[in-house]
Amino acid sequence: MTQIRNFCIIAHIDHGKSTLADRLLERTGTITEREMQEQVLDDMDLERERGITIKSHAIRMKYKRPSGEEVIFNLIDTPGHVDFAYEVSRALKACEGALLIVDAAQGIEAQTISNLYQAIEQDLEIIPVLNKIDLPGADVEGVGQQIVDMIGCEHSDILHVSGKTGDGVEELLEEIVEKVPAPKQEVDKPLKALIFDSIFNTYRGSIAYVRVMQGTLKKGDNILFMASDKEYDAEEIGYLELKKKPCEVLKAGDVGYVIGSVKSLQDARVGDTITHQKDGADEPIPGYKESKPMVFSGIFPTESEDFEDLRSALEKLQLNDASLSYQPETSKALGFGFRAGFLGLLHMEIVQERLDREFNIDIITTVPNVQYEVETDFKGEKKRVQVENPSEMPDAGMVETVWEPYIKASIITPADYIGPVMKLCQNRRGIYLNQIFMQGNRVDITYELPMAEVVFDFYDKLKSGTRGYASLDYEFIEYRKGDLVRLDILLNGDPVDALSSITHRDNAYEHGRKVCAKLKELIPQQQYEVAIQAAIGSRVIARDTIRALRKDVTAKCYGGDVSRKRKLIEKQKEGKKRMKQVGTVEIPQEAFLAVLSMDDND
Amino acid sequence: MAGIYIHIPFCKQACSYCDFYFLTRGELKQPFVDALIEEIRHYGNHPISDETIDTIYIGGGTPSLLTPKQLKSIFTALETVFTVKPVEVTLEMNPDDVTEEFLLKIQDLGVDRASMGVQSFDEKLLQFMHRAHDPIEAVDALKLLQKANFPSYTADLIYGNPGQTMEMLGKDIDRLLTFDPPHISAYSLTIEPKTRLGKQVELGRIDPVDDDVVADQFDFLYQKLSSAGVEQYEVSNFAKPGKEAVHNSNYWRHKNYLGLGPSAHSLYWPDADNAQRWKNRSNLKSYLEQDWDGVREDEESLSLSEMAEERLMLGLRTKWGVSKKQLAERYGYTINNKQEEWLKKQQEQGQFTSVDDAIILSKTGLRIADYLIFELISRRL
Repeated sequence: MTQIRNFCIIAHIDHGKSTLADRLLERTGTITEREMQEQVLDDMDLERERGITIKSHAIRMKYKRPSGEEVIFNLIDTPGHVDFAYEVSRALKACEGALLIVDAAQGIEAQTISNLYQAIEQDLEIIPVLNKIDLPGADVEGVGQQIVDMIGCEHSDILHVSGKTGDGVEELLEEIVEKVPAPKQEVDKPLKALIFDSIFNTYRGSIAYVRVMQGTLKKGDNILFMASDKEYDAEEIGYLELKKKPCEVLKAGDVGYVIGSVKSLQDARVGDTITHQKDGADEPIPGYKESKPMVFSGIFPTESEDFEDLRSALEKLQLNDASLSYQPETSKALGFGFRAGFLGLLHMEIVQERLDREFNIDIITTVPNVQYEVETDFKGEKKRVQVENPSEMPDAGMVETVWEPYIKASIITPADYIGPVMKLCQNRRGIYLNQIFMQGNRVDITYELPMAEVVFDFYDKLKSGTRGYASLDYEFIEYRKGDLVRLDILLNGDPVDALSSITHRDNAYEHGRKVCAKLKELIPQQQYEVAIQAAIGSRVIARDTIRALRKDVTAKCYGGDVSRKRKLIEKQKEGKKRMKQVGTVEIPQEAFLAVLSMDDND
Repeated sequence: MAGIYIHIPFCKQACSYCDFYFLTRGELKQPFVDALIEEIRHYGNHPISDETIDTIYIGGGTPSLLTPKQLKSIFTALETVFTVKPVEVTLEMNPDDVTEEFLLKIQDLGVDRASMGVQSFDEKLLQFMHRAHDPIEAVDALKLLQKANFPSYTADLIYGNPGQTMEMLGKDIDRLLTFDPPHISAYSLTIEPKTRLGKQVELGRIDPVDDDVVADQFDFLYQKLSSAGVEQYEVSNFAKPGKEAVHNSNYWRHKNYLGLGPSAHSLYWPDADNAQRWKNRSNLKSYLEQDWDGVREDEESLSLSEMAEERLMLGLRTKWGVSKKQLAERYGYTINNKQEEWLKKQQEQGQFTSVDDAIILSKTGLRIADYLIFELISRRL
């Protein structure tokens, strides 16, 4: 029986994961140099631009050992961001081994540690690799010691590699064969195939990427998705080579794909188990979770007639991305749209960008927020409700207690930036837990933070405050009581629901002042004066005024000015489409976006 | 009937606010005049030459930098190629060029309306604008104009300049009114990006004047001129009754016009759905090559509904407004219910003086005309 090795790569962004993966593809002859597109595995435009992996990928390679023996490698590439911890866990589940790749010049980052611990928890064999040893700044000794401290290996266990020059790649390939355990090839047991990713294809439906954990799947088998309880036929199965390569059988230990005209987007979810309809497995592979959204935001079409297009785009995205949830929402300001739940901020940005790029739909998104739990007391009648939309927050008079989600954040930063990091955390209502000095002048700082403070540009601030050196990992801990209020924004007395936010009482004044100032900047002068107010309940805490337009007329309009002026009007018409009427006031869509990007230093 | 506009692309120096096409070197004046005469002949084959030319406007640049002889050759060419029965022949000139003799000679050529680029009588402001003349030259030129006894003439003013107070504007207006001019064009300063002024504003060296200040000056100007019997008939144009500019007013009425010379624009609208606009390249060098089809650019063919919007955009700037009957008959454009409703509301609030047969903006409406015109047009989207 052919030897198989299933492994993944754990690495931080920029630590050279993709370059090294490319090198493996080259050395195993999976891909010729001519076919080489940089970073083959990240095939979404967005992934390549951001240099991160958003979805899991897999690729099968045939490695011919110096002894002449042939071994099948299945490399499963995993997402590299804290938002996608669940996807990572499923990808790890599909492997027996993991390459821990650390940039010899930069050292271990927070995200790497968290993924590494997950891999150790799942009993994966870890192969430590120091990458980028060719760089002048490479600190092989020091970073090597970090790895030793982290996983308790010997210095001699660490491979030294350069994905760029190819140094050490031969040794790495041999090490994979030697150290990563072969999968159990229990081909006669009932079928259990783990879906570690699924993508959607317009013509073929959902394509599930699977690792067969036990049993045998044949082409044409009647299959059952255990968690979603849906039945399909395995119309096509195959291996994931550079392109999909159909085959007749996938056996225990194999990694491949299953196509079965799975139309419904929710039927083939990451983490689900595929088995046979007849004589199937009794129990699914443990660990399946319905992903729980942590961040919520309203998504509205810029033009109301795009509502149905937006709905179908979200449906399609959800096929590919089971962690995206959404439900219809109506806003007085923005009309019909959706309230969507995301795993985190990056996930939210990705969805927004994909709506724009892949579906070409102009959208307006509202300020992201977390889910609150609110106890209300209405004339003695107490109720506890979940609030995931600021405008649903009951009026201040009725609110007894508000609970908000807290996270534990681990931030690894060079010691030089302890000050800025702590200042940022303090500003965001953080509770300091501890700091651990690590090898290489680096510190692991732990804080408890309200999640609401982190979803709003925390990561950007962290990065800019540490010149990009800090890395962040976090996990949800619990809901805690907080002195939180709903801050409304009113234009000429009309509340703009899409601009409401939930904020800590101590920050409400400052936040309200900034939003008012920003709106003043963004809302064009209109025929009448516009009063901008920020209010908690009926109490106005900040205000600004946009003066009425007093002069707006071109001085010269003769024979040579007509075309230019008409084109200006055409442009204005485009802009008008992007305006939203709230009461008597017209708001450009940028206003809804800009409140998102409001800077602390404004 | 059609008008002819001729662009003379030469100036002594660049005014800081001006983004018209001109050269400050004059050695190509005669080659330009020769080419212009060829261009005039070229349009003898264009259907627009079938129309009687009733207005001629020679602008620039600085037409007064041409010699009377050069101007004569241009007029001769025009009369050879076109049927010219002028009701108005305007020539733009700068105070520093004007002599009694020059004025007499152009009158002989048939120029019956002089347009004098005064802009201001304030020495500092004139320097700021980088004008070639000083206040004394401005006064002298106006005196000569008065004496020359043109059937009509006009003087340009610019207001809303950085550093210009209401008092300074008042002085400029009073000074001009002492000459009792039949027509005044008063423009609020527009900061164009590709000018010296535009660059300075971009660099933060000069702050543009606040709109509220300009709005006050607009009102002040209107008050002063109106009480002197010089009535506003367009956003920036004021005239004694019957002295309104014919050629310029025709732009706002969609009458055909042929633009000659570099950067000149043309409109030819022979039948309902076939309006054409084009312009000449803003490049004297290519103009001198006399490849007349190659000189034309930005050719546009406009639909009736586009023309209707243009008509509103242009006509609402004037005291005559736009007649609904004409909109319907000439442009097939009927004001819809949403627009009617909005117009009524705006009229109640004083922005329009009439919204029934003709749509006419009020004085306060004129001040925000661009805004109101767009609001009216966009209520159809």
